[in-house]
Amino acid sequence: MSAQSVLEIRGLTVNYGAIQALKDVTITVHAGEVVTLIGANGAGKSTTLRAVSRLLNPRSGSIQYQGKDIARLRADEVVRAGIAHVPEGRRVLARLTVEDNLRLGAFVRTDNEAIEADLQAQFKRFPRLLERRKQLAGTLSGGEQQMLAIARALMSRPQLLLLDEPSLGLAPIIVREIFSIIRDLNQSGVTILLVEQNATLALKNSARGYVLEAGQITLEGPAGALIEDERVRRAYLG
Amino acid sequence: MLAQQLANGLAIGSVYAIFALGYTLIFSILGIINFAHGAIFTLGAYFTYTLMGLQFGFNGLLAQQKLPFGLPFWVALLVGAVIAGLFGVFLERIIFRPLRARGADPLLTLVASLGLAVAIVNIIQYLVGAETYSYPSGAALPGAPASVNFGTTEAPVIIRTAQLIIIAVAVLILIVLTFFINRTKTGRALRAVSEDATTSSLLGINTNQLIRLTFFLSGFVGGVAGTLVGLNVGITGPYLGISFGLKGLAVIVLGGLGSIPGAVVGGLLIGIVEALVPASLVSYRDALAFAILFIVLLVRPQGLLGRPLIQKV
Ligand SMILES: Nc1ncnc2c1ncn2[C@@H]1O[C@H](COP(=O)(O)OP(=O)(O)O)[C@@H](O)[C@H]1O
Ligand SMILES: [Mg+2]
Repeated sequence: MSAQSVLEIRGLTVNYGAIQALKDVTITVHAGEVVTLIGANGAGKSTTLRAVSRLLNPRSGSIQYQGKDIARLRADEVVRAGIAHVPEGRRVLARLTVEDNLRLGAFVRTDNEAIEADLQAQFKRFPRLLERRKQLAGTLSGGEQQMLAIARALMSRPQLLLLDEPSLGLAPIIVREIFSIIRDLNQSGVTILLVEQNATLALKNSARGYVLEAGQITLEGPAGALIEDERVRRAYLG
Repeated sequence: MLAQQLANGLAIGSVYAIFALGYTLIFSILGIINFAHGAIFTLGAYFTYTLMGLQFGFNGLLAQQKLPFGLPFWVALLVGAVIAGLFGVFLERIIFRPLRARGADPLLTLVASLGLAVAIVNIIQYLVGAETYSYPSGAALPGAPASVNFGTTEAPVIIRTAQLIIIAVAVLILIVLTFFINRTKTGRALRAVSEDATTSSLLGINTNQLIRLTFFLSGFVGGVAGTLVGLNVGITGPYLGISFGLKGLAVIVLGGLGSIPGAVVGGLLIGIVEALVPASLVSYRDALAFAILFIVLLVRPQGLLGRPLIQKV
C-alpha cells in the first residue's frame, strides 16, 4: 500500500439480489491524481462509486480512504470524511433553488463565513449559476444541472471527488467545458475518480485508468498506454 | 349568524389544519400515511390531563390514580406534546424503520400504522377507561371570561375563549413551522430529504435522523392539537382521534398530499363548510367533508395546492 494513496478498493464484490454486479474489483487512487474508470453500459462503474459512497453494502472486500476503513460508515459519514459523489444523472434537487442546492452541498460544514466565500467562489467559477441563483434547479438545462451538481459537491470541500459520467447527454461544447473544469479542480488539489463512457476525452485528462468489463477489472495502466491499447481502442474508442 | 358560523368554522378548521400537518410532514418525507397519528393526537390530550395532576375516573387499571404533582395547563401541554413527539419517534424506531429497511410496500406500512392506532386506542381504554375527561374550566386562561362577543348585542358573534386559544396556538404553530422549514439549515435538509433521500445522504445528511425529527414534529403537533380539542369539547374517550384521523385524511387529499399550505387551506375549508351546515342536516356533517373532497378531486386530482401527480422521474 503506497503511502500517498487516497482511495484503496480491494477485492470489492457487490451483489444486487442474485445478480453479481462487481467481482473482486481492486482500484487505487493516489493523492492528486485523476483516475478514470471506463467500461460499457452495465459494466458496474456506477456500482463501484456507489459502494465507495456507501449507498450500498458490498458483499465483500475492503474500501480504505486515507488509510481508514470506510466500509462500515453511513453515507453521510463518508461525506464528512471528505468524499463527494456526483451521481449519474446529476440528481439536482429539482424543487429547491440553485442556491439551496449549493448550500446543502455544505451541509456537513459549520464554518459559516468560509461557506459564504465558497458560495461566491462557485458563482465565480459557474457564472450561469449566479444568474439562476433563485431559480428552481429543475428548470436548468442539462449542462447547467451538471455544473450545479459539481459545484454542489465542491461545497463540501472534498479531498476526493467521485464523478459519474459527467458528460452524459451533453452537447460537445458543454462537455469540453466540463472537462476543463475537471482539469482546474485537479490542479487545485482535488483527487478525482472519474467514470466515463467518453473514454478518449476521459483518458486524455487522466493519469491512469481502469477498464471494467462485466463487473471485473480487465485492464489497468497509465492513461497514455490505455489509449494506445488495441483492445481499448476497439471496444471504447471506436 | 354567518359571522358566528365562520368563527366556529375557523376554530375547528384550525384544529383540522394542524392535525393534518402531522400527516403532511411524514407523508412528504416518507410518502406514507401514518394512521397512528390520530391515536397520538388522543394520547396528547390524555398526557396533558395526566400531567396536570388530575385524577382518573372509575374504570381502567389507573382508576382513581393521579400524579403526586400537577403542572399548570400550558406547561402540561408543552411537556405532553414533547412526550407525544417522543412517542412518535419510538413508533418510527420499532415499526416504520424496520419496514423501511425491508423495503416494505407503502400499503403494508399503512396497514401497520392502522393496527398501531387500534392498539393504542385499546391500551388507553385499558388504562383509563372510556369516560369523558375534561380540563378544569379556565385552566388555560384563569380569570378570563368563557366567551367574548365580537359583534353587537343585536347581532352577537360569540367566540368562546377556548376557540380563540385554538386559533392563536394554531397560527403560532404554523408560523414557527413554516419558518423552520423554509428558513433554517435543518429545514432545508428536510426539504431535500423529502425530494430525494438518496441524494440527500450524498450531501452528508443523516436521513434517518431527519426522519426521526419529522416523527417528533408530527407527534408534537398532534399532541398539541389533541389537547386543544380536549380544551374545547373535552376528552370524549379513547376514540377522540379516530374521527379526526379520517377527517385529516380528507384534509390532506383536498389540500394536496405533502403540501403544508394545502393542509392549512384544506383544514380551514372543511372546518368552515362544516360550520355552515344548517342545523337540520347536522347528522350529515361528516359526509359533507368527503363530498367536498370528491368534487374537488374530480376537477383537480392533485388537490387544491398539490403538485400534478404525473412528475418527471
Ligand atoms: N438497483 C439495482 N438492482 C439490480 N440490478 C442493478 C441495480 N443497479 C445496477 N444493477 C445492475 O448491475 C450491473 C451494473 O450496473 P451499473 O453499475 O449501473 O453499471 P454502469 O454504471 O457501468 O453502467 C448492471 O447489470 C445493472 O443492470
Ligand atoms: Mg452508470
